Amino acid sequence: MTTIALAPQRKRTGWLPTGILVLGAVYCLFPVLWILIASTKSRGELFATSTYVPDLGLGIVRNIGDLSSYSGGIFWQWMLNSVIYALIGGVLASAVSACCGYALAKYRFRGAGALFNVILAGVLLPPIVLAIPQYLLLSKVGLADSYAAVILPQLFNPYGIYLARIYANASVPDELLEAGRLDGAGEGTLFLSVGLRLMGPGLVTIFLLQFIAIWNNFLLPFVMLSSDSKFPLTVGLYSLLQHGADEASLYSLVIVGTLLAVLPVIVLFLSLQKYWKVDLVSGAVK
Amino acid sequence: MSALLVAGCSGTSGGSGGSGGSASGPVHLTLWDWDPNMNKVVALWNKSHPDIQVNMSNPAGGDQLVSKLITDHAAHNDPDLTKVEYQSLPALVSGGVVADITQYTTDTVKDYDATTLSQVKFQGKVYGVPQDFAPLMLYYRTDIFSSYGLAVPTTWAQYASEAATLHQKAPGVYMTNFDAADPGWFSGLAQQAGANWWTSSGNTWKVAINDAPSKQVADYWQQLVQAGSVATGPSFSPQWNKQMNTGALATWISGAWAPAQIGGIAPATKGKWAVAPLPQWSAGQNSTGIWGGAATTVTTDSQHPQQAAEFASWLNTNADALTSQVNNINIYPAATSGRSLPVLATAPPFFPNQANFYDLVKQSAPHARTFQIWGPDVTVTFASYTDSFDAALQSGSSFDNALTSMQNATVADMKKTGFTVSS
Amino acid sequence: MSSETLTRLADPPGTGQVRAARRGPSGHRGFPYLLVLPAVALLVLFVIAPGIYALILSFQTRHVSGGLLGTTSETVFAGVDNYRNALGDGTLWSSLLHMLLMAAITIPFTIGFALLFALCLDALRARLTRFARLSIFLPYAVPGVIATLLWGFLYLPATSPIGGNHINFFGQVAVFFSVGNVVLWGAVGFNMVVMFTALRALPRDIYDAAKIDGCTEWQIAVHVKIPLLRPAILMCSLFTVLAALQLYNEPNTLRPLANAISTTWVPLMKIYTDAFVNSDINLAAATSVLYAVAVLIISVIASRLVARRASGWSR
Repeated sequence: MTTIALAPQRKRTGWLPTGILVLGAVYCLFPVLWILIASTKSRGELFATSTYVPDLGLGIVRNIGDLSSYSGGIFWQWMLNSVIYALIGGVLASAVSACCGYALAKYRFRGAGALFNVILAGVLLPPIVLAIPQYLLLSKVGLADSYAAVILPQLFNPYGIYLARIYANASVPDELLEAGRLDGAGEGTLFLSVGLRLMGPGLVTIFLLQFIAIWNNFLLPFVMLSSDSKFPLTVGLYSLLQHGADEASLYSLVIVGTLLAVLPVIVLFLSLQKYWKVDLVSGAVK
Repeated sequence: MSALLVAGCSGTSGGSGGSGGSASGPVHLTLWDWDPNMNKVVALWNKSHPDIQVNMSNPAGGDQLVSKLITDHAAHNDPDLTKVEYQSLPALVSGGVVADITQYTTDTVKDYDATTLSQVKFQGKVYGVPQDFAPLMLYYRTDIFSSYGLAVPTTWAQYASEAATLHQKAPGVYMTNFDAADPGWFSGLAQQAGANWWTSSGNTWKVAINDAPSKQVADYWQQLVQAGSVATGPSFSPQWNKQMNTGALATWISGAWAPAQIGGIAPATKGKWAVAPLPQWSAGQNSTGIWGGAATTVTTDSQHPQQAAEFASWLNTNADALTSQVNNINIYPAATSGRSLPVLATAPPFFPNQANFYDLVKQSAPHARTFQIWGPDVTVTFASYTDSFDAALQSGSSFDNALTSMQNATVADMKKTGFTVSS
Repeated sequence: MSSETLTRLADPPGTGQVRAARRGPSGHRGFPYLLVLPAVALLVLFVIAPGIYALILSFQTRHVSGGLLGTTSETVFAGVDNYRNALGDGTLWSSLLHMLLMAAITIPFTIGFALLFALCLDALRARLTRFARLSIFLPYAVPGVIATLLWGFLYLPATSPIGGNHINFFGQVAVFFSVGNVVLWGAVGFNMVVMFTALRALPRDIYDAAKIDGCTEWQIAVHVKIPLLRPAILMCSLFTVLAALQLYNEPNTLRPLANAISTTWVPLMKIYTDAFVNSDINLAAATSVLYAVAVLIISVIASRLVARRASGWSR
């Protein structure tokens, strides 16, 4: 009838869960694998040869070369722009979220509840709705088509604030703060030396989430920017795609560009794995 | 190349950022243009005109650029100069984006024939300098035609019967594709048949997108689609790219700018294509429509319209500039003097087998007709084209009804914006 | 900010600390306001102000005059005309229908697969878990526009390695699943990680007790883990509902590849088309306001449900 599974657990392989996981991994990796193969092919080969067979020659080097020389090396400018937007935006947005989340978690003050609700409501507004008005407002102060125009609106991230609040609740004990206050420490010192330090790992997670959100953002820079030298990778590659309809086909450039665009984030993932603690619910339920 | 990088680093945002003047140093102009390699032509100007320096940027193409121009105009951030397709020019004039440059182009306009000029001149005012002219031609695969025994069709009836023959002999090969994604393609065909989607008299518009010639064209292609002898995917998609490469498409109805395109799309088919005049509705006729083509315009945000107009004129009438454009961008010049340039005596690089390529284009060009005027809300019409014909292809419904949808959408939008439309 | 902090440090010790209750020292009442100031400033500048501006735009319209090409255009007050046009526009209702269909496909599949993968990762004898977790999370790193292009190549007959020749991925019904698949591909990893993290946080002693009672691992998963995961599942459902309401990148990028998707296929595409293609920012603003209100109502209801379910659960 039933088996009593008291035997040591690491000896046998569970084929069912492993099988399901492998299928899931294959499903998720398959398109990425496809880019890898497709980016080795030259423009002519891309549509003429079998999809599964990569060109093991110098195809990929040639494609990267073509991509690099397109429009004076603008692809690498796009890559640099993405790094600038995501790094600076990520750090600043994390700072904003950390401050706000900490305040909402550790202090009771007038308007805290209302503020939190308004912040959450910010998630609900589709970015498209705000894109043009944001553009018009920014250009009134002469900031349109600038790096600031892309970074500033992304500094406010309700998810980040929500997470920061949870982390602050979960990792910064009130008792510690009170002890500090009794010792005479000011709020600022407490925040910087106690609060932030304890929230540390959570802050890295917030930063990573912000980084990826900004790295992947398309619509905002698309509306704000008109100089293609300021495009991030998303808008740049999209513009290459669109140009495919006005001028000679640029699909191989788009494909190898996609591969190169995805690599930095993969590297970021692999190197910062342990920070992916998206411990949302435990914190919320506490 | 390096000039572009250096120029790109200064990154001024637009006409309002243009600087300089006669006393204090060179005038800096910004240009938005999506032609590949246009920066090489601009470099020629910059070298010889140290007092007027042009900085080119490429934020988007075609209709997307039109949207960007309109949006940026609200903030007065438009560049000094921009490339605008003829079909979008009235809309941009209406939106107050493009400036009247009649006073700066009194000499320039002498280099254009009446048909060409009518695409930039409205009610006596000149709004741009025409860059290229794009009559529709028939591009066909000589190898496919010879292996299936097809003759080059001179009438549409012949084209249809050859399409049927081809498809019967080789079910995987199509005569061409009906392109529901490129309204310019279809409007060119309608123009050839005699359509006038918009006409104007005084300040009143008349819209007739579902007029008899347009219906004739729509019905013709619907028959081909129903017979299965033409493919139905959009041009320029990965699917279409593959078909062009593997020889699944035997012809392409396209503008005079096609050679460079085909070279990029299907490089391995070099030397296998040839150009012929577009098939006619009646034997012995010689007319065609246009697909695309653009003008260089000066925007109302520009602080230096005179210098900008000077550049626009140079770009499109100067022999060196046009030669460079033909070599680098493969356009067919709109300027009359440009059509006789020595560079056009040789065929484009992708058509080494057809020495008289440009002669054929030159023969067709004078007989190309276009709409009397393009409407002030072409983007609405074009979006409606894509949506309506997509739906018709998916569900098999009538192409005529698609035209009627386009008509209704266009008229409703024009009336809503405040234009006078006669019914 | 630092000068304020220094000022506070200079305060004599003991000020207000005597009455420091569980939270919020009263003597330094200004500090939390300082902390939230950046966020509030950004909120006002980039959410509230543009939102109000969009609202104003929705009550205006552009009218041309001055000759054939209407070279003079002025902005006039339009009352509720834009709203009336928006609500009377058939394409808006079709777009809503499409979006709801898409939501009905993507939400259950995303949550279902995320849960399945999370449970498998947590299974005692599962192998290759680290590889699987990374692989399944990977699509999250790929921008939506890029992911859609990838799948576009995989769907088109000419370049498809998965049978695009025989299956029409862009058929009238199939297109919904094709778009849904792209959404699922990008979303399952993130939700899986959320649920897996919650799983890991569960106390293991419950499982031991169940095992001693004779439950198989499968039974534990279904009858013990899933109910305990209810809050995480509800949270992820909320995320996926919001994402489904804001569907845009995937259908928009697939559109040029085939004939199956119109320029107004989902509400956000309709808004974009109105604003940028038809140059009717006012109609777009009105549609946006209507849509934002609808989304707000749905989200408030959904999050109340989540909060009630999550907190109503007693262990």
